[in-house]
Amino acid sequence: MTEARDPTLARLLDSLQERSKELDCLYRIEELFTAQEHTRQEICRGVAEALVAGMQHPAICQAEVACDGFVHRTENGPRTPCHLRAEIVVQEQMSGEVCVYYTGPCPDVGDGPFLKEEQRLLKSVADRLAHYVLFERLRDLRKGRAHVREDGSEEPLWLMPIQMLRESDPHLHQSIARKLLNLLCSMGVDEAHDMLGRVDSVVSAETVSGEVNVPGVVLKRDESVLLSDAPFFMAARHMTDHEILLKVQKWIQDDRAGLFLKILDNPRTTLPELADALRRYHHLVGEGSSLQPSTVTNMRVSLVRRFLTEQLDYIRVAKEFVTVADLRALIDRLIMPVDGTGKLGGKGSGLLLADRILARASGPDRPIGEVHVPRTWYLASDATLEFIAHNDLEDVIEQKYKEIGQVRQEYPNIIQLFKHSPLPPHLRQGLAAALDELGEVPLIVRSSSLLEDRFGTSFSGKYKSLFLPNQGERAERLDALCDAITEIYASVFGPDPVEYRRDRGLLDFSEEMGILIQEVVGRKVGRYFLPAFAGVAFSRNEFRWSPRIRRDDGLIRLVPGLGTRAVDRVGDDYPVLAVPGQPNLRVNVELEEIVRYAPNQIDVIDLERNAFVTLAIPDLLREVGGRYPGLELVFSKLSEGMLQQPRRLMYDPAHDELVATFDGLINGTPFVRHLRNVLVILEEKLGTPVDIEFAHDGEKFYLLQCRPQSHTDDAAPAPIPKDVAVKDVLFTADRHVSNGWMPDVTHVVYVDPDAYAALEDRASMLAVGRAIGDLNKLLPKRCFILMGPGRWGSRGDIKLGVSVTYADISNTSMLVEIARQKGGYLPDLSFGTHFFQDLVESRIRYLPLYPDRDGIVFNEQFLLGARNLLPELLPQHAAIAGTLRVIDVQAESGGRVLRVLLNADLDEALACFVAPGQERGTGADAAAELIGRPGEVWRWRLQMAERIAHDLDAARYGVKAMYVFGSVKNATAGPASDIDLLVHVEDDPVRQAALRVWLDGWSRCLAEINYLRTGYRSAGLIDAHLITDRDIAERSSYAVKIGAITDPARRLQIGGGDAPS
Amino acid sequence: MTANRAFNAFAMAQSQFDKIADLIGLDAGTRAYLRTPARERRFTIPVRMDDGRVEVFEGFRIVHNDARGPAKGGVRFHPHETIDTVRAIAMWMTWKCAVVDIPLGGSEGGVVCDPHHLGPREQEALCRGWVRQLGRELSPETDVPAPDVMTGPQHMLWMLDEYETMRGGRHPGQFTGKPVGMGGSRGRLQSTGYGLVYVLREALKELGLRPDATTASVQGFGNVAQHAIELYGRIGGRTVAVSCWDEGRGEAVTYRRDGGVDLAELRGMTDRYGGIDRARAEAAGYAALPGEAWLEQEVDILMPCALENQLTADNAGRVHPRVRLVLEGANGPTAPEADELLRGRGVTVLPDFLANAGGVTCSYFEQVQSNMNYYWEMDEVLGKLDQKMTAAYIAVADLARRQELSLRDAAYVLAINRVASACRDRGWL
Repeated sequence: MTEARDPTLARLLDSLQERSKELDCLYRIEELFTAQEHTRQEICRGVAEALVAGMQHPAICQAEVACDGFVHRTENGPRTPCHLRAEIVVQEQMSGEVCVYYTGPCPDVGDGPFLKEEQRLLKSVADRLAHYVLFERLRDLRKGRAHVREDGSEEPLWLMPIQMLRESDPHLHQSIARKLLNLLCSMGVDEAHDMLGRVDSVVSAETVSGEVNVPGVVLKRDESVLLSDAPFFMAARHMTDHEILLKVQKWIQDDRAGLFLKILDNPRTTLPELADALRRYHHLVGEGSSLQPSTVTNMRVSLVRRFLTEQLDYIRVAKEFVTVADLRALIDRLIMPVDGTGKLGGKGSGLLLADRILARASGPDRPIGEVHVPRTWYLASDATLEFIAHNDLEDVIEQKYKEIGQVRQEYPNIIQLFKHSPLPPHLRQGLAAALDELGEVPLIVRSSSLLEDRFGTSFSGKYKSLFLPNQGERAERLDALCDAITEIYASVFGPDPVEYRRDRGLLDFSEEMGILIQEVVGRKVGRYFLPAFAGVAFSRNEFRWSPRIRRDDGLIRLVPGLGTRAVDRVGDDYPVLAVPGQPNLRVNVELEEIVRYAPNQIDVIDLERNAFVTLAIPDLLREVGGRYPGLELVFSKLSEGMLQQPRRLMYDPAHDELVATFDGLINGTPFVRHLRNVLVILEEKLGTPVDIEFAHDGEKFYLLQCRPQSHTDDAAPAPIPKDVAVKDVLFTADRHVSNGWMPDVTHVVYVDPDAYAALEDRASMLAVGRAIGDLNKLLPKRCFILMGPGRWGSRGDIKLGVSVTYADISNTSMLVEIARQKGGYLPDLSFGTHFFQDLVESRIRYLPLYPDRDGIVFNEQFLLGARNLLPELLPQHAAIAGTLRVIDVQAESGGRVLRVLLNADLDEALACFVAPGQERGTGADAAAELIGRPGEVWRWRLQMAERIAHDLDAARYGVKAMYVFGSVKNATAGPASDIDLLVHVEDDPVRQAALRVWLDGWSRCLAEINYLRTGYRSAGLIDAHLITDRDIAERSSYAVKIGAITDPARRLQIGGGDAPS
Repeated sequence: MTANRAFNAFAMAQSQFDKIADLIGLDAGTRAYLRTPARERRFTIPVRMDDGRVEVFEGFRIVHNDARGPAKGGVRFHPHETIDTVRAIAMWMTWKCAVVDIPLGGSEGGVVCDPHHLGPREQEALCRGWVRQLGRELSPETDVPAPDVMTGPQHMLWMLDEYETMRGGRHPGQFTGKPVGMGGSRGRLQSTGYGLVYVLREALKELGLRPDATTASVQGFGNVAQHAIELYGRIGGRTVAVSCWDEGRGEAVTYRRDGGVDLAELRGMTDRYGGIDRARAEAAGYAALPGEAWLEQEVDILMPCALENQLTADNAGRVHPRVRLVLEGANGPTAPEADELLRGRGVTVLPDFLANAGGVTCSYFEQVQSNMNYYWEMDEVLGKLDQKMTAAYIAVADLARRQELSLRDAAYVLAINRVASACRDRGWL
């Protein structure tokens, strides 16, 4: 292996040596120029000698440098044909050349005797000499000017700049002189007319305005006068020196802008060229305050289009807020391929725009406090493509067109493949520079793809963001950074984004992945690094727990530490919720609620272990104590049944119990008010509801992300069709409606408000709650809704609502609280406050229903008239069947299911009966997408069940019959559902065991296929229940499903006969 | 037709009273008087809301009886339709204070509102408004409110501050449920759990059982249960099973260790609400059993300290024959039918009403300490609590034995009789 590596190593060493010689040469030449005492002759000699030393074979190499009339050769012999030369061009004119040549036998390095690097070196040296010549000429001019007027008369202010301009840029001088003459003409200066007349042959008025149908004459021009001082001296007779200077300055700026726009609008300009042009332009002109507003706008639009995005919605806003200076500041932290044309990507652009909007649109009437953005470096989006090309990975681009199962299967390999592929060297260099500037601080590497965060599409959480503790040796840190970037690149080819794009018709879009390398906001506390708190905020509130909260009051989710736990729903923990528009209305009011729903865990970076870790908050506090940043803002001290603001000095981690309430922050600082203004301003300027991510280090507020508020999964506003016949409607609602939709509700659990109110004893009321808890275990998950009077889960007067805990309702898809009018009085509803946060985290919808309001449809007849399954499902609760009704929607509505559509924009809800899986025909595309292909999932399962029955050797396993039931039979199976089979077998344990083994094989295979199709991992997909004649006779166990009243099992055809239909 | 027979907490409290009144043979006048609250005040509280509107809330205070001393009862912030519930609670408070023989009457009050829809400043305005509207009807000598549903120490301090502003001076005895250092009493956390064990200790004596020869199974692992287990252990008893709610699994779990549970060890693996970490418990040698297994354990004592209606006609049959005592730490954990069944099997049920009265007793101690502005050390509080609970048990048990009543009935008889006597002695009836 070592032998195989040797030649490579040798080559590498050679090339490094050459590179070092080349650099050495450049340094030597640069030193010549910086030492000002050298004459031009000395310069020529020095350059020639440095060039020889910089060549691959200096022993046989000679050089000749001719520059602005001076020549130096390192020897006197003639130049050989084996040479390499580069011209020195000053102001578009050749002013000399540099040349190297070999006097010995020409070496061959592949493509001629000289290396590519040597050619580049020669070109660089020639360019540097050209700059030098130009500089020297201008210096001479300046020196010369000092002697022009010895008579003591004062020289006009504008004269020297004009003459310098003529020397350095005659075209521009001409153009300015012409503009000046035109200006003088417009001022009515006759001699200007005359002078212009001498420049262009006189053009008669008729020739210009006459309607002629022959081509115009090309006029002769004598432009020499435009290259003289004459027009300016003429102007001096009619204008002050100062006026002339101002005009000249403006026209020069216009010209620079014009040139810059040319570069900008040229689609072939690469990003680095553009960045260079932008640097030069900004250096010369600044923001261009004297330019026409239209020019400035045009320039901003072009810059935004090239660096940020081509989305028109974005540009429309960005052109008002993002200045040339903003982009100038950005490009110093933009790493890009040499010939790149990429962009920042969605997240980067979104953050930049939001930051600029806030900087420019806030004011004393809408204070937002200080908003900071963490130090950020950007990697342009087309670096992905360069990375792929650099490593010959082009094959992976086809990945998105493969079967999703294959995509899923191959994804882990792609991650590894990417992680083992190096980034192109100059990108790595750029990243090294970024690391040097950022220092040894934790970083977050975020995806910023072109598809992400686009106006109108949500692509949230589909790509990765990775935390890097970024501690240790520089080389290791750089490796870790590159590793994280390649992993994010790989996520473009992950199954979830591919499937998401496929569903939304975005597959053919050429996705490129920009990268944001951001300093993590926070403080070092002991061995940990963490912000005081972080969170997400939405300008629209989709989870209102009080009728006083309006949708545009917004919502904040706050967590201590890193914001990961606020962004994601973690299931076993809760963020603290606050409403920016109503900061005093808190979802949890009682001490017990506040403590139960307080965050218990915290995400931090462990600097010692160089890892991202989740800790229990009490453990962290014990370790870091009062050093926790912003302790008083985040925590309250639980003492004597009260929550009090802790004092850092008084805090005793061994004894004091702290609860993350954010009371200090919400009540004691203007934070919420400021955040509210941030959301309002961003929504107003971006013209769309927004969500933002933020973090706070205890002293400063940082904006981390801003994007149009996304509707994840099932939380989009559902279109409400208006053409549904009243007979097909179960209920409608028009107050306090949130967003969402429940596609296939198969069962309704209805607590009759009148009957409940009439219950005679407390035990019966408690029994209703218990029965609901039992139904929750029995009914298909997320396929049933609960409807009942008043305040569910209330711990006060049980008459006010059904006594349940969250565990009793955890499988429902929606909770509907009904408020019937009583003698002109409308009772309050709870808005689910007793388990509101559980509902939010598990995405159970809540709807308050006011059936007695005008225009509201409430099909009580259906609810009371349908057959009640409770006595059969739960015989032990038969006594309360008059109060609690369980309705099989499919059985009662001719095979249809109930679909509940919620639309917060319209503040309307509709529950109607439709055929299962049926798409809504009325412009429901946005939400319809959300189901993906619902039919496919259950249909495949049913086919597999039929196939199993078909392949079954009934005699061998003693099988009498086979049934399918549950979600597969009901056409409601989702990607995580299993296939419930009921197998009627003979009472023979040996054959039963054999059957179980046979079915287990199927089960495992199907689980694997299901995983490839859907990404849901399970140990097995078949849930088989064996029943015997005795079970059927006793109607025990699952035998009740055969011929059952609700949800009967469906018989499958067994054996290799005709396939069942 | 059914509407007038609908469940009504006050009607239930009245029928319970009627049953005991029959037993005692209470005269019609006393019966009529004690069946209904002595005073009811309803009033309105205007509050300027955060958004500038004025909203008007309905407040009330009901004193059921104050013949034995100043009335004592909670203030609840709760939505409408609670007036009958409040009447019922006021009545129960009268009996509860009487059964432990503390010189207080019974009351209850509140505001019709849902604090979930109110900001803190609005709640403060409600508290202050409530006190202003009741005006001179409040005083440490007449009626002393305490926290109840959706109110807590903070509400009591707002109310106290308003009261003191109206009256001038400091009157910490006007409200109870205050934090220690602001007029609260030590021992509040321990009082209910310890009170249970004081009663249990006396009951064991009566049954001739040595505590150190007994075992117990406890439902719940919250504040009351933990303190009960602690003191029961200190008097020699061994708790072998504890059930609690497993939030993650959404079900209850019973943890059993035959050698007895180690309270300190379990507390170390418990969240703030008595949820025990299953993995750690199993690693420590506890067997995780189904939620209801606590009641099937072969123990001498069952302590339901979690929820109401836990021992029912359905599961009472599964209670192990060894069980001699049911100690009701929760409110109403034993359904009436189960109560009957257990009694029939010779099981003694120590009724909630008596057994968990440690809390209200400590509240009385707070009042006493506040009134004299002198606060006792923990030992003194717990010593006095022991005396009160022991005396209360002995009086109830004595009556039960003499009259062959259940402890529950005996407790009611004793309480109602004490109140009736006080009314008669004052010449009211």
